[in-house]
Amino acid sequence: MLTTMVGSFPKVAEGRYGTGVIGAVTRWQKQELSDDGLEQVFQDVTRAVIKEQEEAGIDLPTDGQVRWEDLVTPLARRVEGFEINGLERFFDNNVYYRRPILTKTPVRRRPIFLNDYLFAKRCTKKPVKAVLPGPYTVVKLSEDRYYRDEKPFLRSIAEILNEEAKTLAKAGAMLIQFDEPALGFGAPPLKQVIEAINIATQGVPAKTALSTYFGSLNGTLEELQRCRVDVLGVDVVSDPKAIGAVKRQKWAKELALGCLDARNTKLESVTELHALFDVVTKRVPKDRLYVNPNCGLEFLPYEQARQKLDRLGEAVRRYD
Amino acid sequence: MLLTTSVGSLPKPDYLMKARTQHRKGELGPSELRRLEEQATRDWVAFQDELGIDIIVDGEQYRGDMVAYFAEHLDGFKTSGLVRSYGNRYYRKPIIVSRVRRRKPVTIDWWRFAQHLTSRPVKGMLTGPYTIMDWSFNEHYPSRRATALAVAEVIHDEAEDLERAGAQYIQIDEPAISTRLDEIDLAIEALGIVTKGLRAKTITHICYGNFQALAPKLMKLPVDQIDLEFANRKFELLDDFKKMKRFTKEVGLGVVDVHSHRIEPVEEVVANLRKSLTVFTPEQIYPDPDCGLKTRTPEEAKEKLRVIVEATRIVREKL
Repeated sequence: MLTTMVGSFPKVAEGRYGTGVIGAVTRWQKQELSDDGLEQVFQDVTRAVIKEQEEAGIDLPTDGQVRWEDLVTPLARRVEGFEINGLERFFDNNVYYRRPILTKTPVRRRPIFLNDYLFAKRCTKKPVKAVLPGPYTVVKLSEDRYYRDEKPFLRSIAEILNEEAKTLAKAGAMLIQFDEPALGFGAPPLKQVIEAINIATQGVPAKTALSTYFGSLNGTLEELQRCRVDVLGVDVVSDPKAIGAVKRQKWAKELALGCLDARNTKLESVTELHALFDVVTKRVPKDRLYVNPNCGLEFLPYEQARQKLDRLGEAVRRYD
Repeated sequence: MLLTTSVGSLPKPDYLMKARTQHRKGELGPSELRRLEEQATRDWVAFQDELGIDIIVDGEQYRGDMVAYFAEHLDGFKTSGLVRSYGNRYYRKPIIVSRVRRRKPVTIDWWRFAQHLTSRPVKGMLTGPYTIMDWSFNEHYPSRRATALAVAEVIHDEAEDLERAGAQYIQIDEPAISTRLDEIDLAIEALGIVTKGLRAKTITHICYGNFQALAPKLMKLPVDQIDLEFANRKFELLDDFKKMKRFTKEVGLGVVDVHSHRIEPVEEVVANLRKSLTVFTPEQIYPDPDCGLKTRTPEEAKEKLRVIVEATRIVREKL
């Protein structure tokens, strides 16, 4: 049973690693700070965020997505063919992201997250999980002025993510996760989504994970088992019915259980987490189970984000 | 008919922005800050009065964030550490840690202060229970519904006090209402608690929404008037309203875009008002800006308000 984060961790931490990143980004935007100067700040924060995870006893840390403006902007900035547009609401959160606009064929001229990953890897002896936005979520959060058709758009993003995943695997990532929060909303075209995920994971020499969170999977969990991924992540906090769906499944895959609410400060008790573990381990053996917050921890202030990680570590240490 | 108004916030003058920063750093006492807030409020009320705006707002010179303001003045909330809103923007999100209670009225003093400055009606301005719930963390109540309904009782008491003080218009802002349409019935239920038994005219302002999905619920909102952004959607909403079978509520018609520096030409607003009159009656329409003007400079805000009043006057003359 391994503890992990879904992705993000607060970039600012009053009383710990401070709020310097806010001023640094502002100065960089005003061209008063160089790219290297900003990168230095990001590296310091990344190091601090990885240390937080180590202190909490997280087995499989991430880089905390310290450089990410949101889930899709890093990719849209580095893949040719996108422009970055105005603010839009990020799913059902009071949080906003910048909507990418596709205006020509998307092309990945260079790696997107390789340097970030290599740096994070040097910060810890633990294996670092690599996280990518999933193809369907990139498509849903973007405006398509080029294909004007979801199918080819989805396919080309999946191909780009596949190249990226291969690069990250070669750089040493033993688990590469694709985030697909968009699957929790509306009626996703499952056949196409699964095809896209399969393109993204094709031939990647590492374990792969599909991470779902927010909204409700509305009975699509069984279908999603058909994706060629090793791990399937399910958020049982946002949709309380999800735990029933997990119980009804035959699990051939590993399960990443999103079990702490990363969108509310209320701290879960060890007892309630253990009750959840009891239910899930009836279906998925402990050695095929990851436990993590239901989504990235950046929706919380630092203090509560850290408490959640500590609680997660504690709950797993005390579970047998 | 075609009574002009504002959505709520107006920009703070530079001297007040500086004073608020100094106050946060502990360099300026509360009474000195209050004096400057009163000065800014006086100026904004006088500006609206002289311009001829029919229903005045106090401009919320003493408020920061619309949810945090209520959280700071009610029992049951504490302030969180910094949380990211987007990109490089952070804010402190309130946390509900115990029962939400109102020890004393929150907005009445300022409402009275503003109303004494003018003979025109001053709108009472409240943040709605669904928005307060959605924009706060909750560690106390067992569910989102329980939270929203508890907050609704408190906001209802505040609305009653406003009415008792003499407010003829009470606006309950619910910008969060249209973002989770699976919870629209909860938002309606909570707003119903707030407006229950009020005789004052009630208004709700809604923004950032999926309007098509919201439209069938509009008539169910328990308020007399619904205020919406028309300008930044290029008045496309008019087509949606045309398709609606029966919309009998009043509509706060946002005729200038609050997110743009551009000052709309009077003729443009005149044309849009006339277009709106093909869908609504003159009695239904309350021309105003799309949303609070606090993100504009004071000069831009004044220009935009001037355009609204001028355009409305032209349209009224030819009715």
